[in-house]
Amino acid sequence: MNMKVLVVSRSGREIIKGGVELKETAIVSDLNRAIHHRMRKYYPSRQRLTLPLQPGSQGKPVVLDPRKKVREYFRGNEEKLTVVLKDLGAQVSYKTLFFWEYLGPLIIYPIFYYYPAIYEYIGYTGERIIHPAQTYAMYYWCFHYFKRIMETFFIHRFSHATSPLSNVFRNCAYYWSFGAYIAYFVNHPLYTPVSDLQMKVGFGFGLLCQVANFYCHILLRNLRGPSGEGGYQIPQGFLFNLVTCANYTTEIYQWLGFNIATQTVAGYVFLVVAASIMTNWALAKHRRLKKIFDGKEGKPKYPRRWMILPPFL
Amino acid sequence: MASFLSTVRRVYLTIYNWMVFVGWFQVLYLALRTLYETDYTHVYHAVEKPLQLAQTAAVLEILHGLVGLVRSPVTATLPQIGSRLYVTWGILWSFPETRTHVLVSSLVISWSITEIIRYSFFGLKEALGFAPSWLLWLRYSTFFIFYPTGITSEVGLIYIALPYIKASDKYCIRMPNKWNYAFDYFYAAIVALGIYFPGGLHMYLYMIGQRKKALSKSGKKD
Repeated sequence: MNMKVLVVSRSGREIIKGGVELKETAIVSDLNRAIHHRMRKYYPSRQRLTLPLQPGSQGKPVVLDPRKKVREYFRGNEEKLTVVLKDLGAQVSYKTLFFWEYLGPLIIYPIFYYYPAIYEYIGYTGERIIHPAQTYAMYYWCFHYFKRIMETFFIHRFSHATSPLSNVFRNCAYYWSFGAYIAYFVNHPLYTPVSDLQMKVGFGFGLLCQVANFYCHILLRNLRGPSGEGGYQIPQGFLFNLVTCANYTTEIYQWLGFNIATQTVAGYVFLVVAASIMTNWALAKHRRLKKIFDGKEGKPKYPRRWMILPPFL
Repeated sequence: MASFLSTVRRVYLTIYNWMVFVGWFQVLYLALRTLYETDYTHVYHAVEKPLQLAQTAAVLEILHGLVGLVRSPVTATLPQIGSRLYVTWGILWSFPETRTHVLVSSLVISWSITEIIRYSFFGLKEALGFAPSWLLWLRYSTFFIFYPTGITSEVGLIYIALPYIKASDKYCIRMPNKWNYAFDYFYAAIVALGIYFPGGLHMYLYMIGQRKKALSKSGKKD
């Protein structure tokens, strides 16, 4: 048995003439594929399918879940099944996005370390002494971004496979610019290192946090199946029992360790900006989890926890 | 209680807008009088005090936006006020060699006419609840001329100041220092010049959008 599904834009214009034909048992991702088959431009990750909003009704439209049966959304046995298609624009996979974001700092920072000619070009001549702190900083920094790339490919499990292409430019600008900004000052010929003890404490603490952060990522990974199924879960174990976004917390403290060891204004500026971005994410995630896990209908109630930075938030 | 507070707000904003209006009116008057009586090299000296006062008072507007006293988004007012304060204090006041340039005249005339219209518009709105349609039209039309002239003057004056900035060490932080930080006012000025082009375009387009909204709304009201 087949059914016909009409595909319209948000303004009501028919995108696919005559609609697409699907088996009665089809799930939404079959619908995605059928649309893509008819219009090559709209590959599935670029499609956002929703039910048409009833005229005059408020609220957000219902987004179709790729795993559900199409029929489930149309219980009234209507003749014409209509879905609204929004073009999300060119998409890249998260793996691609993260790879390019992180590759920049990984390559740019060592350039400032290994090519002091940059500073000579600006006007700093004379002999250059490399402090141990600068060498350790370079190793620490490169290890950090190498770790991030490895986690992207082997650890993280993404629920939404893609992100808009424009984010590549925006995110790379952010990471690459800050990478160059910090690298410039830490590798500067006139760099003033902190005390040996402070440097060791900073890097030691930072490394500890990076290990903790890695473990957090492992725990988050195990909440989901191999293709990202599982949806939202209550994170458990290790620091997650105390803090909703323990992964962000450890990441922020890791940068704090780096800055204690290297002491640059540029590094601290980056810390503040990164921390505020992550705090925004953490607040949103915490609220979302509390909303989903409200204790009703058999769902567990989300436990009382810090959101991101105990004891403040 | 609520209407008492709203009256206080209205009275405060009325006084604020008219006081700053008077400041800018002074700037325009003194500038034109100086041009008539002598020449453009003396304009800065004549307008310096009211200019600095009126322009710096605009910082209050950021506060007004932040606490919700007015509806203007902080993202629109911040770049405008930022560039004005930068040129007023960071260029003209800091590098006196720029003060005798003819662009100072075009600058203060562009700024003062724009602000006179703007502050009287808001002053009337807060005091009377409305502003005459010709003033609304002025507010959303004169920018076609004065944004380009103002921005050109700002960019021009920064450019003229560059050799003096480079020669002086003002506002520069040099390394080595404990916090491993450096700031070069000369390179910052170059970056500022770079921002003027996309920034100015953005503000211009924003005003065109605001104009459409404001003038069509008042058309519908009748």
